[in-house]
Amino acid sequence: MSDMLRAPAEVKYADELDWLESVDTGPKPFSWRLSPRMVRLFVLGSERADGLDREIPQKWFGDRSFVERAIVTLASDRGLLLIGDPGTGKSWLAELLAAAICRNSTLVVQGTAGTTEDHIKYSWNVSMVIARGQSRESMIPSPIMTAMEQGVVGRFEELTRSTSDVQDALISILSEKYISIPELDRDNIVFAKPGFSIIATANSRDRGVNDLSSALKRRFNFVRIPVVTNKRSEAEIVRFRTEELLRRHHIDLDVPPTLLDILLQSFADLRAAAASATSDDEKLESALSTAEQIGVLEDAILHSQFFGDRALRPEILAGSLMGSLARRSPEDLAILNKYLHGVVEPRAKQDGGDWAGFLDGGRQAIASLS
Amino acid sequence: MTAPTDAGLFGALRERLADAAAAFADSPDALAGILAGMVDDVDRALGERLEIFPVCHHSPASALAMLRRLRAKQPKVVYLELCEDLQPLLTELRNCRLPVAVQAFATELADFPAEWAPLSVVAPITEASAEYQAIAYALDTPGVELVLVDRSTDHVFQWTPRPGEAGSTPAGPPGEATVGAEPAEEAALHGDAVGVEIGDLRPRFAELEAYLLHHGKVRHWSEWWDQYVERPLATADHDTYRQVMVLIGSLFRRLRPTAADRLDRDEDRERYMWTRIRQHLAASGADPADCLYVCGAFHAASRVEQFGLDSTAPDFAISPRTATRWRYGLIPSSHSAIEAQFGLAPGSVSIAAAAWTTALSRGGLVPFRLDGQQGGTKRSRRGRAAVAPAPATPVADRLTGFLAAPPVLDELDEAELRGWCVDIVRLARRNGYLASTADAIAVFETSILLAGLRNRARPTPYDFADAAVTCIEKDVVPGRRDVRRLCEILLGGDRIGQVGYDSLPPLARDVLDRLRPLGLDLEKRTVQRALLDLRADPALPACSDLLWMLRHLLPADAVRPIMGERRLGHRSPQESWDLALGRHQRALIELGYEGVTVEQVLEQRLRRCVRGPDATAATALAAVEDAIRLLDSPRLVDELGARAVELLSAERTVDDAPEVLRRIRRLLAHHRTTAARLPAWCEAFVTTGYAHYCTLLPTAFVDEATGVRQVGAMLGFLFGMESLALSLGCDRSQLELAVAQSHPEAPAKVALLWASRHQLGLLPLAELRDRCAELLANPLVVPAFPQYLSGFVHALEPAPGLAPFVVETMSTAFARLPDPVLLPWLPTLITTLRDQGPDLVPRLVREAERTFPGGLAALDAWVPPWRATGQPAPAVRSAPTGPATALLVGHPEAVDAVAALLGCADGWRQDAAPAAGPAAALVAAHPAAADAVAGLLTGASG
Repeated sequence: MSDMLRAPAEVKYADELDWLESVDTGPKPFSWRLSPRMVRLFVLGSERADGLDREIPQKWFGDRSFVERAIVTLASDRGLLLIGDPGTGKSWLAELLAAAICRNSTLVVQGTAGTTEDHIKYSWNVSMVIARGQSRESMIPSPIMTAMEQGVVGRFEELTRSTSDVQDALISILSEKYISIPELDRDNIVFAKPGFSIIATANSRDRGVNDLSSALKRRFNFVRIPVVTNKRSEAEIVRFRTEELLRRHHIDLDVPPTLLDILLQSFADLRAAAASATSDDEKLESALSTAEQIGVLEDAILHSQFFGDRALRPEILAGSLMGSLARRSPEDLAILNKYLHGVVEPRAKQDGGDWAGFLDGGRQAIASLS
Repeated sequence: MTAPTDAGLFGALRERLADAAAAFADSPDALAGILAGMVDDVDRALGERLEIFPVCHHSPASALAMLRRLRAKQPKVVYLELCEDLQPLLTELRNCRLPVAVQAFATELADFPAEWAPLSVVAPITEASAEYQAIAYALDTPGVELVLVDRSTDHVFQWTPRPGEAGSTPAGPPGEATVGAEPAEEAALHGDAVGVEIGDLRPRFAELEAYLLHHGKVRHWSEWWDQYVERPLATADHDTYRQVMVLIGSLFRRLRPTAADRLDRDEDRERYMWTRIRQHLAASGADPADCLYVCGAFHAASRVEQFGLDSTAPDFAISPRTATRWRYGLIPSSHSAIEAQFGLAPGSVSIAAAAWTTALSRGGLVPFRLDGQQGGTKRSRRGRAAVAPAPATPVADRLTGFLAAPPVLDELDEAELRGWCVDIVRLARRNGYLASTADAIAVFETSILLAGLRNRARPTPYDFADAAVTCIEKDVVPGRRDVRRLCEILLGGDRIGQVGYDSLPPLARDVLDRLRPLGLDLEKRTVQRALLDLRADPALPACSDLLWMLRHLLPADAVRPIMGERRLGHRSPQESWDLALGRHQRALIELGYEGVTVEQVLEQRLRRCVRGPDATAATALAAVEDAIRLLDSPRLVDELGARAVELLSAERTVDDAPEVLRRIRRLLAHHRTTAARLPAWCEAFVTTGYAHYCTLLPTAFVDEATGVRQVGAMLGFLFGMESLALSLGCDRSQLELAVAQSHPEAPAKVALLWASRHQLGLLPLAELRDRCAELLANPLVVPAFPQYLSGFVHALEPAPGLAPFVVETMSTAFARLPDPVLLPWLPTLITTLRDQGPDLVPRLVREAERTFPGGLAALDAWVPPWRATGQPAPAVRSAPTGPATALLVGHPEAVDAVAALLGCADGWRQDAAPAAGPAAALVAAHPAAADAVAGLLTGASG
């Protein structure tokens, strides 16, 4: 684990999963490693009322019913499509579910404009084909095909980024649950084992790029993950993810709660401004998601660690925030400048404290970016 | 306070709870105290001689238990937790289609803060409620008495903290719950009334509720209640039901914020109810064993000193009601209105109603229904067969078993779930979703899986809705309704009640009767189009009159004219209306609280409008106009007009002057055309207004807060009404003095003053023109010139004759003002003209059209009239003729003598110069035509 920059969930939480599996007495669908209730518990964390001897921390923050709906979808005949704005935790939820259900979250196809049908079905090892001809040995199964063979969960990230013909290759996989290999004379059908399912994610901001066909939509259950607007939940998420990042980088640094509040408040303010904007030029290009907040905080922490005095300062946080959010010049810079003068400045005058430092840092950052 | 009967009945339970507290709690004493106290509460409530029946609102389990208990016990007296003054209304429920709300309404307040008006209390009643079962049983069973024992609606507000007191809310009378900010139409059926309900049972602080929801793994309170109380109790026997309900009531009572004002009110209510019960028992001599006290479970666990018939505590001192005049009626309600008012989850009341129907059919039970009740299922007579009351049995401890036993899982009802799945797919397809049978199968499977994940064998409606959303909802909602909303519709939908004709107040009945000639069913909830040809049917003009009055009194959507209008002195021969009286039944009913006929209410409203503290002369004139337009009552018009005069003379500002001028002009024109002479109030208004505005004119000219438009309107009144005012005895010198005393400094007002001086003849046009020229020549004043011009534009109101001059000045300004001054001013000019002078613009445009050339070709040769230097052509003088001239020609001496006396040396002489010009030549050459005309005229005169 230590030699992995980022361990997949099943590795990272291997102890926890082992323990849960050992105490799980509930009925398990297909070849699932955990019962649906334990999967929910793994994702959402345990409480005293669950009567477990060990505390299971919460790993995904959001409405309980989303997780329940996702789990039962995977236990049913249909694929699961998690849809939502960027940075809402769709991929993280997909990874956790795959890890809990089958201890393998790495069978992933990343949807891009360059994804082909081969990435979903299979391709050939050309040199082996030349040497020995087409056979199961010279075939390179895709992650989805591997998932079918093993009866586990396959993942498809950013489904709507791939083109329609690639998407349509999924239709037969989800309906018939097998892939035929016409190039082979024998052993030319790969049947999915019980337990196979697909978790796909789609970005709702990409709607219209490659819309799903009705036939494919019908084979997926959609679970929409909303942007977290509850400040308390958001603080939990940011704290949780930041601690993880600090651990990963072996950094021993405290995030002062006041600075976390400033970060959350400034994102809330900028979201409110974006919601009331009438044109695209009046809102930041960034989706202002929770993931973006984590990115800003991570950037600020790394900066403080390596270039600062190993303490997070408001000036550095402001610099990271401006640097991360100012993507277009002059539009984004103008919005951030307006925000600094219209919102942060009065607050700094009224409350003082870290807001004043945040204002100074913001000004300097904008001056250097302009 | 009554002591627990004995430790024996629940002794075992008490011990187990004490042990549990010792084993699990960090501070066992506190927890043990709460747990033991809860058991004590149950013990005491069950040991009471008067049977207490705890209920929860909108709970089918409560309704079922009540139904069974009423059938078994057949009580002679039913005491019900509902405002006692609402009792006479309950029998009217039989004329209505439920849900309806019983309402108490007051507009004339005594001893309450005036800003609370109007006061309104509603108690919604649904069919699937325990209280309706009790009411229906009591009202339709001979020999049974129903007694409402809760505090009156008057006390609801008496006990509400006044503004400024501790616990008060800043706006309006705080109630148990009020409707949210922007409710949907159905959800707003109760308006802003305060809601009261029987059996309000909910955690009294947010943390406890959040805790229960979190650990119950449910999303909202209705779902928690359904899963943990409703379903286990649906089939429970009477003792179990009572004990569990009191236990829950006690739990919420004991886990509450300390020193909560609301609890004091609740305890006062309990004291009130027990006092009333004791008074009734003493007066009627009824046997407590034959009585049933129906109250919320919260009150069943009461620990007030008056609790119980054996209590020796003195009666609660009930304060007398205030002198507020309360009016009572029924208004339509709806499931969504109830949900919105009492903070329940959307669809929960509908789900409760569906659960009630299912439970009835499954148990083969026949509910109590009031005779004549509209809607719902018909009651079979078989259900009313008299059954001997069951003998009272000693109370046994059911609580221990209930709490210790694992939850009884309701068995899967496959047929019901299958029906839901098929129906939701059908409904979704009808609403634009691409749903198919495969989706129905998926919903079915997902519902069962979700229910399993949530510890239940049988999917609840909430599981089903989640499953349907998961399987059918995709990335976009194709129609107006999403799948969750469709599920709500499927599981019962929103039901909207209706108050039957017989239960309507007299005014509402009168309205429906008088609109009968329209031939429409106005009780329907749809919008209906009425076409009125007022000449074709003599009954229709009366309908039209009524509709215009309703238009004035009801919300805009209730009665909406599509074609036709009614202005002063104008009626359309044909009208068409969109009528939605059925949908706005509440508004019509509340109108009925104000009077017996629409005319009476309108008269009262108009009077109130002109007598109110914020009444102004303009509003009074508007009321006069409405009185003429809608009521045609000269007596009322005179009264309102007289009030307008009073208001005008008492006004110290002139903010409303433009409105006053507009309205009084219109009213004067109306009276001049319809009557031989002006009414006295009109004359008084003009003379008062003349004096009033003359007095205020110098101040208005210098006051910065008074706009140029207001001063323009004042001058418009003074000059426009001058001739009438002078004929009524006003003195012009008053106006001259007022103008002379005015010394404005603002440029626009200076221009207005100049215009008025010109109008008074004190400032010739030439001088006015010179002053403008000076302004334009002075570079220091030029930037302010547009403001002068603005004043001149407003001066068109008092001095319409200045129109050519205004056009001239404007033209000069456009020509001579430098661009930095002119260009920023132009938008202001346009917006000012559009906003403030819609009636001035046509005048200005007409004058401009007259002045400027119509075509481009004429522009080169065009010279502005004010620059034309040519002498005016001499007037053509005609030679006087006739017998008088002949006499003077014949005998000039007398005239010459007079001329000499007057100092004219030349004397009288006839202008002998013959008429010149082509016309004269023509007449001279061809005199025949002129002679013929002369002959004709002579003949005619002769």
